[in-house]
Amino acid sequence: MLGFIVRRVLLLPPMLLGASLVIFLLLRLGPSDPAMDYLRLSRVPPTAEALEAARALLGLDRPIADQYVDWLWNAVHLDFGVSYALQRPVLPDLLYFLPATLQLAGVALLLTLTISIPLGVWAARHRDGWPDQLVRVIAFFGVSMPNFWLGFLLILLFSVHLGWLPAMGRGGVAHILMPAVAISLMSLSINARLLRASMLEVAGQRHVTYARLRGLSAGKVERTHILRNALLPIITATGMHIGELIGGTLIIEAVFGWPGIGRYAVSAIFNRDYPVVQCFTLLMVAIFVVCNLIVDIVYAWADPRIRMSASGMR
Amino acid sequence: MPRWIIHAAVLLLTIGATLGTGRAESRLAMSWPVDIGPLNPHLYSPNQMFAQAMVYEPLVKYQADGTLAPWLAERWTISDDGRVYTFTLRKDVTFSNGEPFDAAAVVANFGAALANLPRHAWLELANQIRKVEAVDDGTVRLTLDDPYYPILQELALPRPFRFIAPSQFVNGGTVDGIVAPIGTGPWVLAESHLGENYVFRRNPTYWGDQPTYDSVDVKIIPDPNSRAIALETGDIDLVYGAEGPVSPDTFARFQAMGALTTAMSAPLETQMVAMNSQQGPTADRAVRRAINHAVDKDTMIETVLYGTQTRADFLFAPNVPYADIGLTPYAYDPAKAVALLEEAGWHLEPGRKVRSRDGEPLVIELCFVGNDALAKSISEVLQAELSKVGIGITLVGEEASSIYARQRDGRFGMIFNRTWGAPYDPHAFVSSMRTPAHADYQAQLGLADKAEIDAAIGAALISTDAEERQAIYRQILTRLHDAAIYLPLTYVSAIAVARPEVEAVSFGAIASEIPFDRFRPATQ
Repeated sequence: MLGFIVRRVLLLPPMLLGASLVIFLLLRLGPSDPAMDYLRLSRVPPTAEALEAARALLGLDRPIADQYVDWLWNAVHLDFGVSYALQRPVLPDLLYFLPATLQLAGVALLLTLTISIPLGVWAARHRDGWPDQLVRVIAFFGVSMPNFWLGFLLILLFSVHLGWLPAMGRGGVAHILMPAVAISLMSLSINARLLRASMLEVAGQRHVTYARLRGLSAGKVERTHILRNALLPIITATGMHIGELIGGTLIIEAVFGWPGIGRYAVSAIFNRDYPVVQCFTLLMVAIFVVCNLIVDIVYAWADPRIRMSASGMR
Repeated sequence: MPRWIIHAAVLLLTIGATLGTGRAESRLAMSWPVDIGPLNPHLYSPNQMFAQAMVYEPLVKYQADGTLAPWLAERWTISDDGRVYTFTLRKDVTFSNGEPFDAAAVVANFGAALANLPRHAWLELANQIRKVEAVDDGTVRLTLDDPYYPILQELALPRPFRFIAPSQFVNGGTVDGIVAPIGTGPWVLAESHLGENYVFRRNPTYWGDQPTYDSVDVKIIPDPNSRAIALETGDIDLVYGAEGPVSPDTFARFQAMGALTTAMSAPLETQMVAMNSQQGPTADRAVRRAINHAVDKDTMIETVLYGTQTRADFLFAPNVPYADIGLTPYAYDPAKAVALLEEAGWHLEPGRKVRSRDGEPLVIELCFVGNDALAKSISEVLQAELSKVGIGITLVGEEASSIYARQRDGRFGMIFNRTWGAPYDPHAFVSSMRTPAHADYQAQLGLADKAEIDAAIGAALISTDAEERQAIYRQILTRLHDAAIYLPLTYVSAIAVARPEVEAVSFGAIASEIPFDRFRPATQ
């Protein structure tokens, strides 16, 4: 198990290096010119001289290889440069905004898990009954509805009409409720349906029939023989949902005026703010890889077969 | 505890509470899409002009009628050759930290701005300044290379010639940043919360009229729909701006609701389409004139813009200095457009929808910023309107910087463009027509007398005689109008929507300034 973790962690630096090279090149291969965006934002007419000056100021007048090596050298020293648009160091600003985003994504993940599991169990228990149909309808809407639209609908109902919840900003529980629901509804719906299917599948297996034959109570069979086994696909799905939730956060932050990393990153992408986009993407790669590592560890812990085969292979 | 102590405590608390509520702080909350930046008075993005203008003031102030009023300079004289300006400074002005605002501070600020000359080279004033010197404590002399007449207009700009307390310089200037934004203006930046909000407080030592509001809370809300909701729920009191602070249909909805105050400013700048006179079908003047006759702008404004902008007949609205010269508009007249095209040899072959001449189809590329929903809608209207007279339009929606690149190197048939608004219009905008980097230059390049137009622009800018200047502007604008280089679409206004808690909302003379000092809370 320890070897498994160490190997995965050692993979992280080469992955980040590869990602950084791809991001760096992709950004610069496009036809657009960040110097032009810089002047546009400054409302300075883009004369040839002004463009020249802006390129020199942003360090874009040098060969790409030089730019990359310089950037990499600084990045290794945790200096990710200065944002073109904001003229502030990138990393401190990203770290300033990151906690708000992680908080939102974390609460959304919590909501996803705490709501989807009971819903899935409930639906499976009453297969084809009205609870199952209800969960099906909820899941149908949850999967089809874009999260920003749901966000606006929630605001319309709870802030504009009822006046119960604040429409924007970061503060207490009341502030986080609507954005977290808006982000998590999709993952939650998928999880609930997935768990239902998985539970019904496991319920038909021989070890469950045997457990029933042994005279175990229905509750005990469901908890220890069905649910535990049925949860495995949910763990995998959750690993993928983390990406979905953070991605959703980026959009939802704009809707709810949530001062997180998303607004910072999205406007940087629009403005071709290379240093921000580079640092942000790397940070996201790191977070994804770490989250998936955690999921894999949990998976290995929950399913002895994987643990065994992983050690057996070596 | 003795009873009298309790009584006394209750009494004190009551008095305190009464005093507290007797003078509740009045705070105006408005939204802005991005952070306001470090408020360096001599630099551009990410510093937001409206916020710079709250803290820093100019020597002279641009007025709605295009004239200039004394501001930090109480008067000025201009030498006969138009090259030397002598400003007498107000004596009662201090920076908000108590430092005196004097000739030395003015000279230091000009020095700090000009130390970064390449960044300001787009502004002719920066290139024209030969020296700035303090004659005495209260007098500053500005010497120029040429008698460039719009000096005062450009001194009135929100940046870069405004004044920060010299004690706030870093490394003897402002190029490397500032310590804190300390200006002479009516507002002082009191709180900054990156990505959330910025609070400005009234400057208690302000030399001019005190603003009515105690503070202005600028909340960062990037999404226009969220901004509209924040206004409805009372999170903000005001949306304001010329860059579509809320979408036109939302503005129309607020107008219809009645509970909110809506207002539109006088025209600030012109939104138009520039047509390329050097290549493609638009090289033919008849085609450009036909396009001007073929578009029903009123219906477009009614349907797409919900009446939030006004019809533009000319490159500059008549309220722009030197631009009210009584030209005849190209009226909406599709029949005339067809006649012009027929006469010029663009015929409709049987069974075809697009005209052609000698095998060349009358198809034009119209370029716009792809994620600008309004520009897209307007482009589609233009496409539909022009197809009625047999002109085919290919829509080219690309990202902003690609469109700017097309403007610069002339890769367009028709392209969206805007004038720069007061106080840049008309002088700085026509001046830019001489620069190859501009769509206007590229569009005009096919005109036989382009060199003469450019020479006339140069002459207008250094003309010291107002009447002569007016005559030259008349000549330039008439020429461009006759050549139909532009399809003027709308005059863009700033819009404001305020909650009933805000009584008076007015608009600044400069598009990028918001006159918070003139806003008032409603009396209860």
